[in-house]
Amino acid sequence: MSDKLEVLILDDEPIVGKRLKPALTKIGCNVEVFQDPKEALDRIDQKKFDIVVTDIRMDEIDGLQVLDRVVKKSQHTKVIMITGYAMMSVAREAMERGAFDFIAKPFTPNDLREVIDRAAKALGSDINFETTTGTKNG
Amino acid sequence: MPIIIFLSDSYEKGKEIAKKTADNLDYKYVDRDILGEIAKRHDITESKLLKALDEMPSLFGFSSKTWHQYLVYIQEGTLKELLDDKVICHGLAAHLYVLGVSHVMKVRILMDPEKMAREIASKEGISVEKAYNIVKQQKELRKKWSLSAFNIDETDLSRYDLVINLSQIDDKEAVDMIAKASTYRKFQPMTYSIRCLHDRELASRVKAVLLKRFPDVRVNATNGTVVIEIKALKREKQKKTRIIKEMVGNMAGVNYVEVHIINDMLRQAIETFR
Repeated sequence: MSDKLEVLILDDEPIVGKRLKPALTKIGCNVEVFQDPKEALDRIDQKKFDIVVTDIRMDEIDGLQVLDRVVKKSQHTKVIMITGYAMMSVAREAMERGAFDFIAKPFTPNDLREVIDRAAKALGSDINFETTTGTKNG
Repeated sequence: MPIIIFLSDSYEKGKEIAKKTADNLDYKYVDRDILGEIAKRHDITESKLLKALDEMPSLFGFSSKTWHQYLVYIQEGTLKELLDDKVICHGLAAHLYVLGVSHVMKVRILMDPEKMAREIASKEGISVEKAYNIVKQQKELRKKWSLSAFNIDETDLSRYDLVINLSQIDDKEAVDMIAKASTYRKFQPMTYSIRCLHDRELASRVKAVLLKRFPDVRVNATNGTVVIEIKALKREKQKKTRIIKEMVGNMAGVNYVEVHIINDMLRQAIETFR
């Protein structure tokens, strides 16, 4: 794999992508941000991402459907679910359907970086997050 | 790997299955043996904590206040143990207070009541009929105990992730089933569930500290933010808020303390009519 992780972020709240993109770019990820699940799925069909970060509750297409599509397309891609409506039942369902991790909002960019770090290790990435992470809350 | 919490109709049998499962999975096994340490921390006797797990408040036993206090100490001590990875917990009522944590797998072991009655009859030298009544009474008591302590009916089987009837399944098969279920993806720890568990542990730790001074305290923790609710008179608000913040503010894991004072209507009414 390349030395940069290909990451797609999908959340219908623009602020999420706006905050996460610089934080992940800083640690050596190529980040594409989407607010529309349909556009995100089209992009997922075109390109193989290492990591997909998706909100769960969205109009028309929800995050679990995105998860199913990604898992069906590529077992390689690690899917990280994020939600402001976290519940045990949804968390278990997401994991059962193949999510790599599940994070409840609110979270800091650093929280996500830690999960991305673990996903990268699971992917066999040689990105050294320890040295690229920089400041704790950046 | 998930945390596994056991509840069994028979403490001894539950312990046996839980220990075998712990050996099979190379897990740490936690049970009532931790009560001694908890008792020491709170300067009470271990026997009182043991009794709190089996008995309800009564005229000649615990007061309701003391009973709930002891249960909070048990929760605090048990949750601390559960923060470790790969733990099996048995006999500490954790199935009633470790709620909403997706990597906690709850296992209920059912026993054949007639077989239990025969065992009790032979051990105690009483008739099987009498022993059968004891088994039935114990089940009723557990239901009342769990409802009174945590407002949950522990005899409701829908509350468990895995229910195994030992009158149909032998011990080894039971252990294999539990070990297999523990590998299911849905029970694996995730960032969210680990945070939930830390939140529960922090809330119980804070509650244990505040309980002696504020017996009606309610505590909720989310990611280091602790929300505390107590009843007090309006004029006491500032003082009690300050005291609580002093008691809790420097505890490990606490980032922010929010105190909500609920007007104590009863005390207010008493003061008004005095």
